[in-house]
Amino acid sequence: MADDTSAAAGTSTETGAGTESNLRTTKPGTKRLFLTVSVLISFLLGAPFLLKSTEIHRSPLPSAAISSLSDHLHSNPPSFPCHFQAIFLSPFKPSDSSLSLSVAERIRAQLSAQSCGNCNFTVSVTVDSGSSCRHEGDAASAACLWECGGGGLVDAIEGRDDQGIDELLLSAVNGRTGGCAGRVYSIFVIEGRDERVVIGKHRHAWMVLKDLDDSTSVVSMIGTVFGDYFMRGGVEKGEYIPVGSDGNVVLSFSLLNSNPSDWIYDWDFQRTGEVLLAPVLEALAPVANITMESQVLYHAPKSSISYWDEKLEAYVVNTRDLPFFVNSNEWHLDTSLSASGRSKVLQFVVYVPSASECPLYIRTPEGEMSKTNAFISPMWGGVAIWNPPGCSMQSQGIHIVRDVLPPQELEKIIEIFIGQLRLLFGLNSNYVEPSPKFKVLASEKGFTNWELDLLYRQHTCFNLLSSLSTLQSLSTLVESLPRMIVMDEIGKQVELSLEAANLAESNISLGINNASALSSIRARALAEDAFFHPSIMSISYSSMEHYFAIYMPFFAPVSLHVLLAAVKEVKRYFAERSKYLTFRASKLKSS
Amino acid sequence: MASHTFLSLLLFYLYSFHLLRPIYCSFGSNGFETTSVPKEEEFSEELLLKPLPDYKVLAHFHFTSTSPPSSSNGKHHHLFPKSIAQLVKKYKIRELELSFTQGRWNYDRWGASDPLSTANGKPPGVELWALFDIPTKEEIDATWRNLTHSLSGLFCASINFLESSTSYSAPLWGFLPNNGDLRYGALPREAVCTENLTPWLKLLPCRDKAGIASLLDRPSIYRGHYHSQRLKLRSDGLNGIVIEQTLSVVLQPIDRTSWSMHQLFKKSLTGKCALAKSSKVFLEIEGTLVSQNENILELVGEADMVTNDQRDHSTIYQYNVERYSEHEALDIRVNWKKLLQVSFLQAPLHASRFLMGSGNERGSIAISLQSARNSTKGLYDNSKNCFTRVVIFQVVPWYVKVYYHTLRIYVDGAIRDAKDVVEKINVAPSEDKVSPGTLEMMLQFPCGMMSAALTLDFDKGFLHIDEYPPDANQGFDIPSALVSFPDFISRRIYPDSISSPLLQSYKGRNIVKSYTEVLLVPLTTPDFSMPYNVITFTCTVLALYFGSMVNVLRRRVSEEERLAKSKDKRKPGLIPLLISKISNKVRGIKEDSANQSQSSQPILGPKVVFKVVLIALIAVLGHYIFNSS
Repeated sequence: MADDTSAAAGTSTETGAGTESNLRTTKPGTKRLFLTVSVLISFLLGAPFLLKSTEIHRSPLPSAAISSLSDHLHSNPPSFPCHFQAIFLSPFKPSDSSLSLSVAERIRAQLSAQSCGNCNFTVSVTVDSGSSCRHEGDAASAACLWECGGGGLVDAIEGRDDQGIDELLLSAVNGRTGGCAGRVYSIFVIEGRDERVVIGKHRHAWMVLKDLDDSTSVVSMIGTVFGDYFMRGGVEKGEYIPVGSDGNVVLSFSLLNSNPSDWIYDWDFQRTGEVLLAPVLEALAPVANITMESQVLYHAPKSSISYWDEKLEAYVVNTRDLPFFVNSNEWHLDTSLSASGRSKVLQFVVYVPSASECPLYIRTPEGEMSKTNAFISPMWGGVAIWNPPGCSMQSQGIHIVRDVLPPQELEKIIEIFIGQLRLLFGLNSNYVEPSPKFKVLASEKGFTNWELDLLYRQHTCFNLLSSLSTLQSLSTLVESLPRMIVMDEIGKQVELSLEAANLAESNISLGINNASALSSIRARALAEDAFFHPSIMSISYSSMEHYFAIYMPFFAPVSLHVLLAAVKEVKRYFAERSKYLTFRASKLKSS
Repeated sequence: MASHTFLSLLLFYLYSFHLLRPIYCSFGSNGFETTSVPKEEEFSEELLLKPLPDYKVLAHFHFTSTSPPSSSNGKHHHLFPKSIAQLVKKYKIRELELSFTQGRWNYDRWGASDPLSTANGKPPGVELWALFDIPTKEEIDATWRNLTHSLSGLFCASINFLESSTSYSAPLWGFLPNNGDLRYGALPREAVCTENLTPWLKLLPCRDKAGIASLLDRPSIYRGHYHSQRLKLRSDGLNGIVIEQTLSVVLQPIDRTSWSMHQLFKKSLTGKCALAKSSKVFLEIEGTLVSQNENILELVGEADMVTNDQRDHSTIYQYNVERYSEHEALDIRVNWKKLLQVSFLQAPLHASRFLMGSGNERGSIAISLQSARNSTKGLYDNSKNCFTRVVIFQVVPWYVKVYYHTLRIYVDGAIRDAKDVVEKINVAPSEDKVSPGTLEMMLQFPCGMMSAALTLDFDKGFLHIDEYPPDANQGFDIPSALVSFPDFISRRIYPDSISSPLLQSYKGRNIVKSYTEVLLVPLTTPDFSMPYNVITFTCTVLALYFGSMVNVLRRRVSEEERLAKSKDKRKPGLIPLLISKISNKVRGIKEDSANQSQSSQPILGPKVVFKVVLIALIAVLGHYIFNSS
């Protein structure tokens, strides 16, 4: 068509030369031109209205705010205010005047990477030996500092065991510091004969040193206790904490009888397990709301192969085969129905091998037997193998053994499980002391106070980061799909989640622990609600193809007409006008 | 802490509520008898084989798990499935029955009034009903919705379609007498297959790894004529939670007169599940005397016990699976010496349901009841004061708009006034897109009646385009109606020497009932592409109109003609020539000068060739661009 019109226009000017039609005596009319052009213009003006009216409802997401907060958190992860104080209960004259600075330097030197849940710490050193009382270093407020007058402690410590000292120091710390925003961690330095460093169950440690004059070794010791233990729990990097986005965790304990035709073991988990685990759950209450359940399953063989080892006189599973140990086809561990919403279920499995593979041990890569005979799978749970007593005797009894797991054995297994739970939460199952002088007191609750602080910090930080990464994924998704319906509800949830995240961040820096944890959980829950909103699935029903299929049949032919008419009319107008102008020029010339 | 004490108080309240009405609790049930409460969780497995009159064999697997009443229910379990206990605890279920059925129980041939068929004849598809221990109606509805979702996750089935209020109803007495805390829903079209069986087996401690369930060879059991898998649970403060899992299959032996367990299942039973308290296989022969049986059939395999029920309706051969091992598998073989003449118990009335009328606008549902007089003669006499009571329970989806006032009842072919026949009626009319229509009706027929029929007229509704299922042209199913006979109780009492939960359940007051066929109602299905057709058609018309209007306003006819004339004088191109020729022909203008000029010029000038090439090039380019994008 376009080709056709240009040809027509071209020929008209070409052939017109020299003929009568080349000239025009009247001014060309603008009626038709006005008409066609106004139709075109009205179409052009109407187009935005059409686009607006056919627009898909998309609630605006604050993507700029999300990405800026996320960038901010990634470049400097939230750090919690902590105060570290070293208290010298023995007379001590530091060689250099700024001991606290060197301790802080020492801690900073060990902070290799900026990981989540670190402390934004202040360090102070107090010398409190009878007569002299000297403070040095910085603290957020005077309330964070040790109040002098603890001289009697040195004598009180004498002759007590570690547990006793721990309790004594706890009461001393409680009495002499308080009202500080953020946590206060203390280390007591005493001069004495037998050198030792003990980290207590609460938020303090003490060290007995022969010689306080060697200030570099003192500083390095203090720095290790503060940096490696109180701040990072002796682990290299913080793992994800297996807590559901609603703050719930279900511990599901299962006793698996590999082959009940050999022997059947039952357990009294309800009595033994609940008693042993109750303090652990209580201790973890600030981090997660934990519930327990147990079951016994039968006909649940493992799926990896075990070999007979002559040397160990047992069947062994190599460490590299452990990933195949969990038999998801036959182990119907089931996600719990009571784990509503987005709770996390952690499976703890006691595996009783069958007669054909008993005793069964896990062999470490070094060729030794595993001490605990257990392993964990991060974010899933743990497995412990329990070999029935006397199973290696190959008793060919006709009667099936029906027995109950002895309570002592169950206690041992539960201890292993507590260690596994610690591992799953990103802590060491137990501390390997670098030297015999070094000791970390274990709590009967499974988690010491300073470890719980650490978990609390990591959990809050992890929630915050995960909520932001969820929000960011959502906003990228929404941006990448322009025809996607975004409900108002999603927009609201995103906004609230962002608000909660901001609140958590500001609370962290202020040191309000409870509020920051709560709002970080809320931020994560809301972000996941928004991301998993069912309406996000409706995207397939308003694709671009539908849009075109509906509007093309009308707008394609009509716009062709309108455009062509306008082009033709404009062209004709200019052609006619030039004719008229030449006519006028010739007229003027002739006159 | 406050919430804890509140919760415990609430639990205590509920518990006491429960204790106050134990009589009521046992009233609603029919399959369970209160027995001495065991201290521990128990499991027992049983299989009942029964030759059917038409030489098929019914295999009825029956697994019972019990959990004593305990505060740790739903938390700590040894044998009992944890998921079920949690379900009961979370949704406060008092009773629940879920059945997956394929095929229809043939009441005419397989028996209708013995306990096995009344308890196990189930409607095709999925049927779910539950009694809740929740006071308010709104809460029950909300709990039901959550329950359907949990069950659909647990059993890998689309039970969640029962969530919508259009698909479940709350019958008061037609299904099971209750206080309004019963919910009933059915999905007639749900297909049943192994993916439903596997989660069901998961609830058994031995699954299908050992014991009687190891007989469940999938190809064999799904080849059967009828397949019904059931889960029935009951929970109360006295007995704890009891679940009965049954699987009934009707199989066709290859040889009609002689079959064995191994032939039927292609597997052999080598021992019991080590966790089962009891593991037994029964063979039930409908017949009066053992001695008589010996003449007509021969059993291979020595039974541990042979007994008759109290009224000598049947003979039971009991086999204890414990005695068998891998070296000596249990394989019951039945050889018929004579042709089988088993009399079986029919229901007093044979019920069937069908549709009447034609077209996509209206129709009517008819339920016909035929007396089975010849077999149950003793129950009837022709005296005037004898009546048979029949309860009909029917749920109709809202798009089948039943006019309940059009109920017509025919007795022996003559129309009868509804007042004379209907003893009690409860109608919950359907509400469009909100709730289905429920009809509960108790009828009284004279004993001498030969046949009765009920008809109800209905209009077919229109659905919104979104509400049609993907296969809309197949039609819509109306779930089976339940016809029960409250005066007829099927029970069989066996000597107490047999301790078996299965035979125990035979002792209960099972009301004789039968499910009717599922009806398929074709609804008017719209042409789903119609909206697009309408859009394109109207748009084309509008575009045509608009285009011609624009042209009328714009074009100058006289000038164009003049231009065309002057163009004809010079050498025109090929395409303009053709166009002008055609347009001239259309307008009826004679062409005279055009022919003359054409003869002097070659048709294909270089300019024409260039143009054609140009157009082709544009087309190719356009094609390429469109494809690449």
